[in-house]
Amino acid sequence: MPEGPAGAPGPAAEWRGVSIAFPHAGRAAVGPVSLALARGERVLLLGPSGSGKSSLLLALTGLVPHSVPATVEGETFILGAPSASRPPAGWSDAVAHYFQDADQVLCGMRVKDEIAFSGENRGLAPEAIEARVKEVSALLGLPADWLGRRSLALSGGERQLVALAAVLAQDAPILIADEPTAHLSPEVAARLHALLASTAPCDAVLVVDHRLDGMIEAMDRVVVLGRSGTVLAQGAPRAIFRAHHAALVREGVWRPAASDLDACLIAAGLTLPHPPLTMEEALAALPRSEAARAGVASFLGRRLPPPRTAPSGPPVARLRGADCAPFLAPAVLHGVDIGVRGGEVLALLGRNGAGKSTLGASLAGLLRLKAGRREGPPGAIALQHAEDHFATGCVRDEIAAMLPRAMDGGDRQAAINAAIEAYGLSGLEDRHPFTLSEGQKRRLSLAAIDAADRWPLIVLDEPTAGLDAAGVDGLALRIEALRAKGRALVLITHDMDFALRLCDRAALLGGGRLLAEGPARDLLLDAGLMGECGLGEPAGAPALRWLEGRC
Amino acid sequence: MLKRLNPLTVLAVCLVWILATTLVFRAPFQLAAILLFAAMLLASRAVSPLAFLGLMVPFALFGFGFFTTNVLFRQENAAAVAVFSADLARSDALGAGLVLFLRALAGGTISIFFAFSIDPGALVRAAMAYGRLPPRIAYSLFAAMQIVPDLAAKANQLRLAEAMRRGRGLRRVPGPGELFRLLIPLIAFAIRRAGRTAIAMEARGFDAGRARTILDVPGFCRRDAAFAAVLAACLALCLAL
Amino acid sequence: MRWTLRETLIIAVLGAVFAVLYLAWVQLWLVAQAAFGAISMDVFMGFWFIASMVAAAIVRKPGVAFGAEVLAAAVQILLGSPAGLLLIVTGMVQGAGAELVFALTRWRSYSLPVLMAAGVGAAVFSFAYTWVRFDYGALEPGLIVTMFVLRCLSGALLGGLLGHAIVQALYRTGVLHGLRIDEDRRAGRA
Ligand SMILES: Nc1ncnc2c1ncn2[C@@H]1O[C@H](COP(=O)(O)OP(=O)(O)OP(=O)(O)O)[C@@H](O)[C@H]1O
Ligand SMILES: Nc1ncnc2c1ncn2[C@@H]1O[C@H](COP(=O)(O)OP(=O)(O)OP(=O)(O)O)[C@@H](O)[C@H]1O
Ligand SMILES: [Mg+2]
Ligand SMILES: [Mg+2]
Repeated sequence: MPEGPAGAPGPAAEWRGVSIAFPHAGRAAVGPVSLALARGERVLLLGPSGSGKSSLLLALTGLVPHSVPATVEGETFILGAPSASRPPAGWSDAVAHYFQDADQVLCGMRVKDEIAFSGENRGLAPEAIEARVKEVSALLGLPADWLGRRSLALSGGERQLVALAAVLAQDAPILIADEPTAHLSPEVAARLHALLASTAPCDAVLVVDHRLDGMIEAMDRVVVLGRSGTVLAQGAPRAIFRAHHAALVREGVWRPAASDLDACLIAAGLTLPHPPLTMEEALAALPRSEAARAGVASFLGRRLPPPRTAPSGPPVARLRGADCAPFLAPAVLHGVDIGVRGGEVLALLGRNGAGKSTLGASLAGLLRLKAGRREGPPGAIALQHAEDHFATGCVRDEIAAMLPRAMDGGDRQAAINAAIEAYGLSGLEDRHPFTLSEGQKRRLSLAAIDAADRWPLIVLDEPTAGLDAAGVDGLALRIEALRAKGRALVLITHDMDFALRLCDRAALLGGGRLLAEGPARDLLLDAGLMGECGLGEPAGAPALRWLEGRC
Repeated sequence: MLKRLNPLTVLAVCLVWILATTLVFRAPFQLAAILLFAAMLLASRAVSPLAFLGLMVPFALFGFGFFTTNVLFRQENAAAVAVFSADLARSDALGAGLVLFLRALAGGTISIFFAFSIDPGALVRAAMAYGRLPPRIAYSLFAAMQIVPDLAAKANQLRLAEAMRRGRGLRRVPGPGELFRLLIPLIAFAIRRAGRTAIAMEARGFDAGRARTILDVPGFCRRDAAFAAVLAACLALCLAL
Repeated sequence: MRWTLRETLIIAVLGAVFAVLYLAWVQLWLVAQAAFGAISMDVFMGFWFIASMVAAAIVRKPGVAFGAEVLAAAVQILLGSPAGLLLIVTGMVQGAGAELVFALTRWRSYSLPVLMAAGVGAAVFSFAYTWVRFDYGALEPGLIVTMFVLRCLSGALLGGLLGHAIVQALYRTGVLHGLRIDEDRRAGRA
């Protein structure tokens, strides 16, 4: 507990009429927003990509404008005290902030040093810090042998987990978590959700997240920001998702799967007495009526495409007996045989650290194999950490740089404009890529590859991480378009619904090798197999079982 | 084994030896220094013999530069190094060149030994605890060391993106033009990383003007005393012979 | 005028990046040294001052030029430089030479001429240092003058001019946003 204001009455954290304008921008990026986080309350903050969620959170302790230049109007309060009364570093014992990008949390030290860092800064006794490191590692299930590893030489999801551990180790009464599960495998995400729901590591929790299933039950209140950067709606989760369903869809904001099912049922003429939050709840309450069947079928319609005829022909690229290794590291996958055909979407699935990104880059021909060989022309990869792509000074140049040099002026402009339009980047053409929101960064990295479309093989590494619902729908359309053009696509994702919706074939990685490979639908709907691999089943699966009368 | 020594002990011992190799201009002494430190390094199994030889290449080149300069331009260099040793002024061109060559190798061996037998993090911690190095400077130094391996990874990433843009595989060794094009993005990356790290550290309460705990401070123990004593004895022995 | 945490870290990582580049440059120099002898050191020397120029032009506070060069030397030693531990002294001397020039402008101007002058400052200091270390007094005067002129030229061009070019290029990438250089540029100063 911090000294002084801890005992003061009032909310744990409060924003009063806050609006934030970044330098050289015409209008405020977000606000004015007034929002209070009561003690003991768990609030979920939702909003479309770019609506200003992250900026708002950064303003709480004053990192905006103290460390990120901006003009801020209004005031923020922490435990009853104006946050301007201390420098941002002074609030570390009151607010634990998980930034949206794990690389923004980590300082590049060893994992143990990262976790111990906040304790050291508070001047705690060494034994207390050691104990805290152990406790947090156990809480998140970090293997002991990670403690000596460098935090930046981990896989995307592992890094996120370490960053979360470092933040939780702060032991602060207020937890602010900005998309804490974006790169976590379903199993690990479930562990984190349970943690947020349990006796709470903290007094008050504010979460921004896109993955709502499994977490939403634990939330006391949902606050939705609109595209305009002001509060669109707020209230208890159940009420919000039914009352504002259409508006949420329109704004492209994520909903729990059960809320979409509820909307389909209402459209089919069946209104459940109690708005459902989870699939189990919804399906248990369903009568075996015609309307219910119609509702569930229409819900499944978008999530479970009809089986396509599998493309035949030789693979565009394939690995034979390949040992794949990350850059400057020993091999993590052994003896992999896999190929991908034109017009096919292959899903690569597995736990965090299973080697998906490594395999993806190897398939694209961008990592050297330790053994075995690769056949086929080089491909492209949309990297898991979108920022790693950026090398130019503005969004437009970033897309232009990917286009073939030979392309002439008119076509070039047309291709750039089409990509900007398709990926919802209009109005951001002249912005520096590094000042974009996470979702915007992701869309830009995908847009650049899509616009150039010069490769027979395209690997997308966690393309949905950080995207809002509208962004994911748009991406699905683009992937369908690339498939129709005969491109070979590899999709690495932790979003099982997205994989089910798009992929023809799936490959499961685990234990340093390829565990299983087959039609995506068979693998993804095999609950036992998915569980073994640390993955969950898609939200559509229980609905399908219900429809087929198996429950 | 060596990693269990206090980094400050290792630093002190290495400093003393480097000073000695600078002052003592005799081929046998330089040779002894090379053999001693190479033997300790290889015995600790921190590097394979082959990797060690590879690391010695630049030092050999460096030394060879001195060697040729001496043989060819004896006049200048005899005087040049005479400040440090009367022995050298008396020696012949070939002999002086040889000593300078060996000295470069000796300096290299000791530096490599130092680099491989300490953990940089531990050195920084020890310097904060015993040397009163301000945490801000200590962590900056630490960040500076941490970024070096990441520069390699980032350079690879940039090359990868470039290869992708050009639609061909990655060349094994970058050409000079490619290296030059990497320069600015790499520096930009480093600066951006620094800015981020600053925010990350602030958000977790670094620099808030409180007393800090330093975890895992390497202590001094009998092993350190033994190590220092043995190396001092070796030095005395080499000087006496 | 205290360095902020961000600035301190920037100076440190610049030191690290340039330490790596310095080590690469050492290899080039060694080849030249083997072929052309000691005078090649003077021709190559300027590049070893560049960390000072770049860091000073970005952060624009007292002590930066000195600090960056010393840090670069420290990182080189940790990476295993052929020059060994004495490199710290070399770094201090060179950094002090550049710092002196910036001090003369009261740390207000970082234009191209000032950066080149700082390069010359570092060259002069380092020349004095090598004079003591390698007893240049014993050399022919003509050779000494040539070496001195070459080193100053190298400092001005490889240190000052190239440093300026690097800072310009960095500025265009947008990473210097929010630093002193950015404030100065927007306020219309050089
Ligand atoms: N440093 C900055 N400079 C200029 N504009 C910025 C900066 N940071 C964010 N923005 C802009 O402010 C708006 C809000 O960004 P913010 O990151 O808060 O969005 P978000 O709601 O978190 O989005 P996402 O879901 O994509 O993470 C965006 O349009 C973004 O481009
Ligand atoms: N730069 C690196 N150096 C050393 N090991 C690494 C490096 N990058 C990744 N690894 C290790 O290689 C393994 C595979 O990493 P990879 O990034 O391919 O995993 P992933 O399946 O993509 O995981 P995620 O779902 O978390 O992104 C992991 O165990 C990881 O710790
Ligand atoms: Mg955000
Ligand atoms: Mg990955």
